[in-house]
Amino acid sequence: MVSSFCWSCLTRLPSAPRAILPPTLTAQRVAAFHTSTALFSSPVKKKKGDVVPAKFRQAKSAKMKKKKPVERTRPPAVGERKALKKRIVLSNPNALEIEGMQDLSADNMVDARLRGSILGLPVPMLDQLRAVQAFKPKQGWSIFRRPGTVVRRETLELGRLIDGISGEGENKGRVVRKIVTGVRGSGKTVHLLQAMSMAFTKNWVVITVPEAQDLVIANTAYAPLSDENPNVYVQNDATAALLSRTVTANQNVLSSLSVSQAHPALKSAVKPGMTLEALAKLGIQDPAAAWNVFQALWTELTASSPAPGFEGTFKPRPPVLVTLDNLAHWMKESKYNSIDCKPIHAHDLVFVQHFLSLLKPNADKPTLPNGGLILYSTSASNSPTIYGVTVALQQLAARQAGVKPSSPEYPQADPFLNADNRVLAAFDSSKSTAPKEGSLELQTLGGLTREEAQGFMEYFARSGLLRENVTDAWVGEKWSLAGGGVIGELEKLGRRLRVVA
Amino acid sequence: MVFILGVNFPERNIVKKSLESFFGIGNLTSTRLLARFHIHPTCKVGDLGNKQVLDITAALSDMKIENDLRRQYLDNIKRLKETGTYRGRRHALGLPVRGQRTRSQIKNAVKLNRMERRL
Amino acid sequence: MAWQSPNGLVHAMHSIRRAAQLRPFLQRSVISASPISSPSTPAGLRQRMSARGYATELEPVAAAPINLAEFQAKPARIVPASAAYFSGSPKFIDHMLKLEALLARYASLPTVSPSEAPRMAWFKLLQFRDVVGEPVPTKKYKALVKLLQRLNRINPSVAPEEVRSALSLFLRPGNPYGIKPAPATVDEQGRARGKGKRKASSAVVHLVEGEGEVLVNGKTLNEVFPRLHDRESAVWPLRCTSRLDKYNVWATVQGGGVTGQAEAITLAVARALLVHEPGLKPILRKAGVITVDARRVERKKPGHVKARKMPTWVKR
Repeated sequence: MVSSFCWSCLTRLPSAPRAILPPTLTAQRVAAFHTSTALFSSPVKKKKGDVVPAKFRQAKSAKMKKKKPVERTRPPAVGERKALKKRIVLSNPNALEIEGMQDLSADNMVDARLRGSILGLPVPMLDQLRAVQAFKPKQGWSIFRRPGTVVRRETLELGRLIDGISGEGENKGRVVRKIVTGVRGSGKTVHLLQAMSMAFTKNWVVITVPEAQDLVIANTAYAPLSDENPNVYVQNDATAALLSRTVTANQNVLSSLSVSQAHPALKSAVKPGMTLEALAKLGIQDPAAAWNVFQALWTELTASSPAPGFEGTFKPRPPVLVTLDNLAHWMKESKYNSIDCKPIHAHDLVFVQHFLSLLKPNADKPTLPNGGLILYSTSASNSPTIYGVTVALQQLAARQAGVKPSSPEYPQADPFLNADNRVLAAFDSSKSTAPKEGSLELQTLGGLTREEAQGFMEYFARSGLLRENVTDAWVGEKWSLAGGGVIGELEKLGRRLRVVA
Repeated sequence: MVFILGVNFPERNIVKKSLESFFGIGNLTSTRLLARFHIHPTCKVGDLGNKQVLDITAALSDMKIENDLRRQYLDNIKRLKETGTYRGRRHALGLPVRGQRTRSQIKNAVKLNRMERRL
Repeated sequence: MAWQSPNGLVHAMHSIRRAAQLRPFLQRSVISASPISSPSTPAGLRQRMSARGYATELEPVAAAPINLAEFQAKPARIVPASAAYFSGSPKFIDHMLKLEALLARYASLPTVSPSEAPRMAWFKLLQFRDVVGEPVPTKKYKALVKLLQRLNRINPSVAPEEVRSALSLFLRPGNPYGIKPAPATVDEQGRARGKGKRKASSAVVHLVEGEGEVLVNGKTLNEVFPRLHDRESAVWPLRCTSRLDKYNVWATVQGGGVTGQAEAITLAVARALLVHEPGLKPILRKAGVITVDARRVERKKPGHVKARKMPTWVKR
């Protein structure tokens, strides 16, 4: 035992402050500098049926135990396991209700004072968000009383943007197109969710592709678009699903708008005075016509004035939010095969083509004349490694930083690595002459700041998940451990510590 | 239940697997067939349109599969035996035909190469 | 043993020469002994011859009486200076005796604990044998080193010059402990550098004052270490001193696996932190982060399945 006095000078040696030592752990800690293993290991289980050591000269029989015949139960019904896997639980009745938590509304989505706090998603909106599959399983919604999101810097920017586009100011009717990237767990998908919830509060039309991968892994039916262009393929079932998502989520908006253009492709199915909801439902009922219906719906939503003969019931169209998750899957060959058994490039699917064409500003006429936001995100956990995408994103970042494509600093694709030209072209957006048309931007999500992280961890504490004093120092430590405030990591830390108390 | 080439398949079966149940159609042929008629690989038999079923049936009836193929197979072996070639003899003896070693592991040959060849 | 004989021969010649220098009185006595009173004898003879010019017969002269006492004082053979000359290793024994005498004289001086005594690199046994040219046994040399160490423990502030010079005779040339690396300092950009190794990994850490950002090989902590345990251990020196939000860490680490890399960073961070704040050493020592874990994977041996495991025994 080392004395805590220095006997030569009779002063007390400085010792580690008690507070920084993790509480209650000192006794059971094994390794000198870890808290985790000892903490999270389950208490030592008593072995069942203690093995008595064989007595002297006692033979140990090598008799094998007979295998019990396994009782065969019926396998779960078709789709049951998948439903369980995709189930999204948004509420945990055991978590504490947080007093004074505000709901997202048109007023507070631009309020900079709320930065770092949690805004709840309004309960009536949850059905809409579920319909557009904004929530993903394993996002940890199920540990809180009700879903809410952190207001971070990017959220406020997004709020201002959406407010500006639908407001009456100079930004009215602007088209903003963004690609959201960031490290794993940096909140890209939740950023899309926030955009959707803001768009719903502003009564926009929200069109989403919740998982880009679903369209290219050859899990839905496909067919050539028409006899004229057999090399372009349409996915009717997927389009019908998209229409159904759009209709369920935007029922209020779509049912208040009515058809204002002629749709020769749909022939007699379209009746004058039909609401857009009814129009979209045509495609859901008959998937064979789904693509034509979707095109009709798109022309209706992007109409700025009625066609001759439809003037009666025209109402101005709301702005449109288009979101897409996991963009990189659309940048390679799909799992579909063409008629001569060659893989079809994802850009040859007309569905994909349509959504990718939104990234490029139209030369003369704006893509979305009523304004809108096109928000596509990449994924860091499930994404194919595609060289073309890497280069294209680098080029995008360089353009955004003001590097001219003709300058030598502009990143170029390595000619030996065979970057896909179609991919490079998809991201290569020229400046449009239309004033409201924004060029493609890259938004990289990083970690939260310390203040935002503190607000986030307080949310855990106030929900009763974390029994720890959320001090500056404690948050700073978690902030560092989470790789500079990466929100997904912070959430894991908040969850794990729940077990400690 | 969907009839494809006279065989009844339950609707929940996958088309690719169903095609591969025919003698003479394997992974490659079934993939090609599906690509030819624009059927995605996870498609269920129940999801096939009428036209697609007819197309598949027509394509299958043009191919040499099932009994035709079996007969050709046996004829080839028979020809080898009758001309008295080494390969024919090996078939008859129940030994490996293609120069494999016979010191070990000739179970398949023993099982399959009989006078009355099973398929 | 072939090398010893020429060496011994050389040494023998050498020691003779040394002995000749050391004992001039002996030499002088040898020189004076050979012409016994020769200058006086011819002079007296000449004198007598000049006195008697014509005399031809010689008068018989009696020999001078033998002085027996003179014989006693001047021995006929060379006498060595040290009695140890007749032992197997006279120089070694001389050294030993000299040190013992020194110790006896200065035993009462205050000493310091062995850890505080100046670190000295004594001759290794083989080197010492070369220097003295004698076959010194290991055990005896150990005794000599023990004496040296005892003398070295005399408090350096009061150690007499005599002792110091005596000790310096036994130092290896180019005192290896004399070369001390310059104490690490924070460079002009405020960076402290620390290196650490663990298992097969080695890490270099640059520590600057900042606000708690950690980058490992240019990536954030959670990208490099998916496991929380590893992340915690990498920044443990900062955490246990509650300095996590006061420094930024830039680490480059290579080799080994995830655990090894994390703990190599631990050591490197702790060392770099000591450069900034040397006063934290006791805390860091207690936290176990500046203790080097020198264990490495033991090599596999021929005849073994692994490092130690033997193949299972088979009867035939």
